[in-house]
Amino acid sequence: MPPAHVGGSDIFDIGIVRPFLCRLLFTTRVEIQGDTMFEITKPNNSLLAALPPQTYQAVLPKLESVKLNAGDRLYGPGDDFTHVYFVESGIVAMLVVIDNDLTFQCCMVGDEGMIGVPVFLGIKTSGNRAVVQCPGTATRMKNTDFFEECSTNSDWSAIMREFTYSTIMHIGLSAACNRFHNLEARLALWLLMTHDRLRSGEFIITQEFMSYMLGVRREAISKTAASFQQRQLISYSRGDFTILDRNGLEKIVCSCYQPISVH
Amino acid sequence: MVPADHSQVAKKNYLLASLPDKEFERILTHLSPVSFDLGKVLYESGDRLDYVYFPTTTIISLLYIMENGATAEIGVVGNDGILGIALFMGGDTTPNRAVIQSAGSAMKMKAADLKAEFTLGGVFHNLLLRYTQALITQISQTAVCNRLHSLEQQLCRWLLLSHDRLDSDKLVMTHDLISNMLGVRREGVTLAAQKLGTRGLIKNVRGTITVLDRQGLENAVCECYSVVNAEYNRLLGRGISRTFA
Repeated sequence: MPPAHVGGSDIFDIGIVRPFLCRLLFTTRVEIQGDTMFEITKPNNSLLAALPPQTYQAVLPKLESVKLNAGDRLYGPGDDFTHVYFVESGIVAMLVVIDNDLTFQCCMVGDEGMIGVPVFLGIKTSGNRAVVQCPGTATRMKNTDFFEECSTNSDWSAIMREFTYSTIMHIGLSAACNRFHNLEARLALWLLMTHDRLRSGEFIITQEFMSYMLGVRREAISKTAASFQQRQLISYSRGDFTILDRNGLEKIVCSCYQPISVH
Repeated sequence: MVPADHSQVAKKNYLLASLPDKEFERILTHLSPVSFDLGKVLYESGDRLDYVYFPTTTIISLLYIMENGATAEIGVVGNDGILGIALFMGGDTTPNRAVIQSAGSAMKMKAADLKAEFTLGGVFHNLLLRYTQALITQISQTAVCNRLHSLEQQLCRWLLLSHDRLDSDKLVMTHDLISNMLGVRREGVTLAAQKLGTRGLIKNVRGTITVLDRQGLENAVCECYSVVNAEYNRLLGRGISRTFA
């Protein structure tokens, strides 16, 4: 079933990478028709990297590398899960959707995490929407294979339990943050979190997309972004965002900001 | 040997009640009853968890503590759930504060016993995981609600969530406590409660709120309430709402 999409192209399969090929070909960074692929034997994703090497080797045949294009919808409310996605680069936004219209980002997932926690918890259909916020790549696995691994292998379940718990805390924090903090602090938070996950201060994003994420009107984003620009914290032009003064943003951000540990 | 009435009491908790007989009997041997007064803090952020609790009549509020000490409720656990998911999710401590929002009883279980049962896999293990997803939904929806909906709507949601988890129409609760839960000033809560009172939906009398018109509250509440209820229904096979279940 091809995933529905918003404003981007469908997820493009790079193809199934077989373990013996990995060992032969992908021990170094290689270029394939302009697509940069990293050696898959050393995953960039923190969860996959945390698996003991033999456990990881054992699931390699079940892993598949996919491209994440900006705006791709991995799944929406009511969709059956087909795969789980371990983000290798880029960012996927988890959104709560109200009345098919209003959305709000409850969680931001980069290479520290994965999309598909409900599958681990034994749930077959999604209640949220997962949208690619910044393009990159992911390693995906069929939901049935993943569930099987988590049910039979304690390495997998231990890692997933911990990640699930950190996700709950992340969402709890965003609930509290929304209650107490103004848009300026929340926008600074969102920019710093994006920066951390991309390890780059330059990204492409529309103000409309940001308004979906932060659950405010686009005009409010424009106004706050303009004020940041005036203070030379960021530069913004037609969707190109550059963080100029990270320290400045750290002074504005609320206490909710927790830098992710960089592996 | 487990006293016979423990079994009756324990079954007031939906999670325990949905266990097959064999599992229920086994879990029951680890449970003992406990009761709590309003406002009691079960654990503070950073505390080690020695017990988990299956509420039978009490309601527990999960509060997020901000750096400056301000609090906001991120979830509610009543007879629909279990307090202490951190334990089987791999953490020994919790970053939340858990405080009794409505006095009543619960069944408690030693942390070590829960871990051992969870490790066995099977029905109990799967049930706890599904409940975790239901709680994630509740917390996400709270985040959205905080962003998008008026205090009056949020108060309705909060009242309905509490009403669902109680046997009675009376909630013993001060505006001060509600303001801690909702993370707003007390004056805001009082004003919103007065509005609901004027419309005949609730009655406010010194520390007690009585639900007079449940249907009216359901008409006034934002959709976050029914969304969470539908998710509980889907995930656990049983909604919590008195009317929608």
